[in-house]
Amino acid sequence: MVNFKGLLKKSTLVGAAAALTLSLAACSGNSSNNTSNANSPVNIIITNGKGEIDAQFKQAAKDFMKANPKIHVEVDSIAVGDTLNIYDKLTASGKTPTIAMFDPYNTVNKYKDVGIDLSNEKWAQDTSYSVKDANGKVVGFPFAVEGMGLVYNQKVVNKAVGGNFDPFSINTQDKLKSLLDKIKASGVKYPVAYQTEAWSVGNHYSSLFLNQESDPNTILDQLKAGKLDLTKNAAWNGYYDTMDILASKSYNKYGDRPLGQYYDAAHVAVGKGDSAILFNGDWAFDSLKAVAGENFGFMPVPVDNNPNNPLNNKIAVGPTQVMVINKKATAAQQDAAKKFLNWLVYDKAGQDFVVNKAQIISAFKNNPNKVTNPLGVAISDAIAKDKTMPFSTNYINTADWSTIIGPEVQKYLGKQDTRAGLAKALEDYYKSHQD
Amino acid sequence: MKDRKRDLANVGNSILFLGPTTVFFAITVLIPFAYGIYLTFFKMNSPTDPMVFSGLLNYLNALKDADFWSSLWLTLKFVIATVFFVNLVGFGLAYLVTSGIKIQNSMRTAYFTPNLIGGLVLGYIWQFVFVQSLPALGEKLGITWLKLGWLGDPHMAFWSLVLVTIWQTSGYMMIIFIAGLISIPKDLIEASTIDGAGPFRRLFNVTLPLMVPSFVVTIFLSLKNAFMVYDLNFSLTKGGPFNSTLMVSMHVVNKAFVEANYGTGQSEAIILFFIVAVVTGIQVYFSKKMEVEA
Repeated sequence: MVNFKGLLKKSTLVGAAAALTLSLAACSGNSSNNTSNANSPVNIIITNGKGEIDAQFKQAAKDFMKANPKIHVEVDSIAVGDTLNIYDKLTASGKTPTIAMFDPYNTVNKYKDVGIDLSNEKWAQDTSYSVKDANGKVVGFPFAVEGMGLVYNQKVVNKAVGGNFDPFSINTQDKLKSLLDKIKASGVKYPVAYQTEAWSVGNHYSSLFLNQESDPNTILDQLKAGKLDLTKNAAWNGYYDTMDILASKSYNKYGDRPLGQYYDAAHVAVGKGDSAILFNGDWAFDSLKAVAGENFGFMPVPVDNNPNNPLNNKIAVGPTQVMVINKKATAAQQDAAKKFLNWLVYDKAGQDFVVNKAQIISAFKNNPNKVTNPLGVAISDAIAKDKTMPFSTNYINTADWSTIIGPEVQKYLGKQDTRAGLAKALEDYYKSHQD
Repeated sequence: MKDRKRDLANVGNSILFLGPTTVFFAITVLIPFAYGIYLTFFKMNSPTDPMVFSGLLNYLNALKDADFWSSLWLTLKFVIATVFFVNLVGFGLAYLVTSGIKIQNSMRTAYFTPNLIGGLVLGYIWQFVFVQSLPALGEKLGITWLKLGWLGDPHMAFWSLVLVTIWQTSGYMMIIFIAGLISIPKDLIEASTIDGAGPFRRLFNVTLPLMVPSFVVTIFLSLKNAFMVYDLNFSLTKGGPFNSTLMVSMHVVNKAFVEANYGTGQSEAIILFFIVAVVTGIQVYFSKKMEVEA
């Protein structure tokens, strides 16, 4: 009898404890919008899509808070490629990220209703990389500028050409071929290590042809209207002619079987100097530098034999991460967020954080600092010499391109499909994806 | 009166022992699952969008998604290949390490170790093997099929996945088989030997029928693992080359989170759940019938 009673008591206790845990769990989901009064600090949340600079970003937030004690900054980071998800996650859990980091395409498409108009901000006058919406209003603050092209190992190429190599001297396909032959002659068996990640051969390489018009959207509009025959488009064909050269058996380390998981191996090869050239962006330095203290640079991807074709003389450079101030944040939070953006552009500590600490190429002319990453330096040089064209990847749906178009390009590379088949796949995609 | 008190006490006992588990099981599995089904009836492109009731539209889209069905078909091939080989190798290893050879205990440890490495890490290790080590070996020995990276060919990439899965899970299945083999009564084996049964007859007519309970468990586990494969798929081949090794779980994740079709992705996940539940249910039901008493 007594035992039963004791047990009963115990089990009620456990039940009560369980109920309490549940109600606690329910409560914690409720800590969303912070109402601010004059004395308490304004809380802002920033989502950081560049996970690799998480520590630097959090330190920057601390420095900013020291200078602005009335503002409290919380930084939520996530790895590259997941940017959208952290904004989604926070929003779904009832929070309001004040500053969200998006890629430029989603800023003006999927998340076009998120941001406020930033046209009247001072920094908008100091950069040519702001992201504008369909009405021409500035909605995105360009946080990071990046670029892509043919990455080369300076030492190997210098040895092959016998002197200081000028990347912009390679402005025709023939000159590229003769450079590859020279590299071979200098003792490098395979001058190219062509890696074939879907995002690289798809989103990056295969969008470059959009730059044949000064506004990449012109070509996209023609594709969507079904008015562009890619098989007859010179620039489009030119890029795949060059891809054929780069991935050919005589030049490519992986020419016998071009497809495979070669990303790391290719970067090690070029980093060590076993090969000389690969196609990628400035972020490739992270994988290259792990190997040696070599120097690297960018050259344009030539598409024909006309040295005056702008495509042959420029590398694609543009904003890849932009910051948007959330419409749903309170007025006080929006003001604090604007202050933070200004801090990044005009405050010495902010400038130092972006370029020196985070090694990001600043989109702002007034930032005096220079990155140490040689590929970043190459991009800054190209910007200074006005040898850049838009970062074409910003104009396409990167998610679809990496899951739908990328594999089609891989099929072409693996000789599972013809160029006409690839053209048709791309045309068909835009017929069924009008938005 | 007394009975009622006892019933109450039983209820109390049940809450004491089952309550916490039930609560956490509900929080982490039941409620999200039910909510997941609820979500499939709405159209929404991101969690910030308002939910619009769309009936069975998501399921219709899932049924019309040809890539979903082709990835499911590929997964089915993967299931058949891995279930067969994992159990074959697992049983073979178990038979070997219970046969009384000298170093059998250290062999048990060795075969089990791969299972302790997580799927993601395992994928990257094997990526290195397939991209660097094997081609280097092929180059040295002049063997063409080793020299070319396996992960660049659709068929080779598929078999790479199967191979790594076997390497990873057969050690785990081995442990279950060892338990089964040890529990077979020695007198039965002795009796069959005295009756004149050779090693093969003993294996097929005595050992294997008594091992059915182990096989029920191992086949169930390997079936479920193979249907749900994601981490290895992601880290070893990323679904490539050209989506030729894109298994169904990865397709669902891509659909929902990469292409941001939450509704369609979730419906495909539910369809996948029912297919796996039915297949494993049938497997357990029929193999239970095959069990024999010693």
